[in-house]
Amino acid sequence: MKDDDEPSAAEQAFAGRVRRAIRDELAADKALMLKTPTAPAPRVPRQTPTGMTCSVRRSSTPVNASPVIALERVSLAFEQPVLEDVSLEIYSGETMVIVGESGTGKSTILKLILRLLTPDTGRVLIKGRDIVTLSFDEAMLVRQQMGMVFQGAALFDSMSVFENVAYPLREHTSMTDDEIEARVRQKLEYVDLHPDHVMNLLPSELSGGMKKRVGIARGLANNPEIMLYDEPTSGLDPLTTGTITRLIMKLQRELGVTSVVVSHDIRSANRMGSYIAVVAEERIVFCGTPEEMAASEDRYIQDFLGGL
Amino acid sequence: MATLLFERLNTQAKLAVFAVQERAVLAWNAIRFMFVRPFYAADVMEQMDSIGVGSLFIVVLTGFFTGMVLALQSKASLAQFGETAIIGRLVTASMIRELGPVLAGLMVAGRVGSGIAAEIGSMRVTEQIDALNTLGTDPIKKLVTPRLIALLVMMPVLTIVNDAVGVIGGNLISTVFVRVPSSVYWRGVWDQIAIDGFTWRYLPNDFIQGLAKPFVFGGIIAITACYHGLNTTGGTEGVGQSTTRTVVVASVSILVVDYFMTQLFIGALNLQ
Ligand SMILES: Nc1ncnc2c1ncn2[C@@H]1O[C@H](COP(=O)(O)OP(=O)(O)OP(=O)(O)O)[C@@H](O)[C@H]1O
Ligand SMILES: [Mg+2]
Repeated sequence: MKDDDEPSAAEQAFAGRVRRAIRDELAADKALMLKTPTAPAPRVPRQTPTGMTCSVRRSSTPVNASPVIALERVSLAFEQPVLEDVSLEIYSGETMVIVGESGTGKSTILKLILRLLTPDTGRVLIKGRDIVTLSFDEAMLVRQQMGMVFQGAALFDSMSVFENVAYPLREHTSMTDDEIEARVRQKLEYVDLHPDHVMNLLPSELSGGMKKRVGIARGLANNPEIMLYDEPTSGLDPLTTGTITRLIMKLQRELGVTSVVVSHDIRSANRMGSYIAVVAEERIVFCGTPEEMAASEDRYIQDFLGGL
Repeated sequence: MATLLFERLNTQAKLAVFAVQERAVLAWNAIRFMFVRPFYAADVMEQMDSIGVGSLFIVVLTGFFTGMVLALQSKASLAQFGETAIIGRLVTASMIRELGPVLAGLMVAGRVGSGIAAEIGSMRVTEQIDALNTLGTDPIKKLVTPRLIALLVMMPVLTIVNDAVGVIGGNLISTVFVRVPSSVYWRGVWDQIAIDGFTWRYLPNDFIQGLAKPFVFGGIIAITACYHGLNTTGGTEGVGQSTTRTVVVASVSILVVDYFMTQLFIGALNLQ
């Protein structure tokens, strides 16, 4: 009966379509009024044929294993198309690094995996379950298996570091205060922060690198099976970048979490990722191992490697 | 050109209907979550404190000056008919029915509404709203519902304070400039609020009107501010736009709704 007052997925999708239709109409209207020229022709070579799935699996992955995270022919548009016909597969314990220019929809892919956004068409599967059709409450349960590190850390300004890291535990578990404190200390130590020094600070009192690390600690608090990182190293000095890269690799190694890392930093991408996907012009234009990427003859990929 | 204009109007109309509908959905969800666990009681208390106690000073200040100016303005008109003795009734009726709720509403829309929009708006642009969602909390439940409850409770309280201070301000001016003795003034005040007798079984119409209005205004402020905050786009600049929009939309809505509520009360309750 409780489903009655939940807007169903179909209703939500419909509301989304209506919203986009109206926005499109408004945008078209504006274009007409202002006589904006149409978008310039694409300048990126389409290396991967449309509809190809970028799949991250090793030869040791069992043939009948199903991917932990899968995007199937996902398209999404806001005012303009952001993703078109994108397919991804990431198997258990693997790491995919997504690189690409600013504004190409990298963060959007992570938000689709978290079901903070729903695609216009296509499916998003987490452990084989289509999360697009889930109700809000069911989606909450799926999200609990995932930890997300946001681009700007997104720590809650009004809460101390301790409360930030403890937040998912307070919301979802019946852990006692002592257990929560022990867990928070453990996670802060894991990200190389001294619990006693930082626990009572507010996010505004932390440096950029510390914020990122607290963000990672908060993402880890629930012991998630999937970790998503949105530019964990952007805006940091090379030393801190190295520390955070090593931290992410340690997580993969020791906890075997399945990870998706969005990054601008091609060097740390090479170190972290078993696979690299390059997003451009609404599509995945390259997908392969760091070695394959270095060997690519493609101008755009070479520019991308050289430009960073 | 004409069709273009028509198209544009058409789109605008659709957008307006759509915006109203989205606000209604937000309001409905915020109300629904009042009755669903977990309850964020600490957040409600914090909001009540910041909204109620925080707004007390400006509400007292505006109420006092409004009451004084009401008495001053009434002086001339009433003196023409030699009726200055009813100045207490006039000030009280104006404060309770109209000026108390509307002025408190406008003040709170400016002070609290903009604050809520800025806070939620910056949480939106720094991805804290997404973080709440990711960590398994419904942002409507955590952010909107506590603010709605706090405003629904605190607006009537602030309005009563505003009314009371206004009547006291009116008393000051009446005795000093209009030369109506305090006892006569307070007699008039009492006559007005107990116009049809005052018992617990029968609440005077002025009270119903004077408390229903701020209750509704509180809801308008909360939903408008949260809606604009949650729908902020475009970085810090967007936060500024959201706060401005909140104050404009909430203030205009308060004045428009005030008119229709008054008409409703006059029709339904036969107020004179
Ligand atoms: N909620 C939204 N509403 C409208 N447009 C959006 C929204 N979110 C993202 N976009 C648009 O979608 C595009 C992709 O955004 P996204 O944040 O995914 O880019 P990104 O690849 O993460 O860029 P960056 O590297 O700068 O973080 C951008 O053009 C952005 O303007
Ligand atoms: Mg991004």
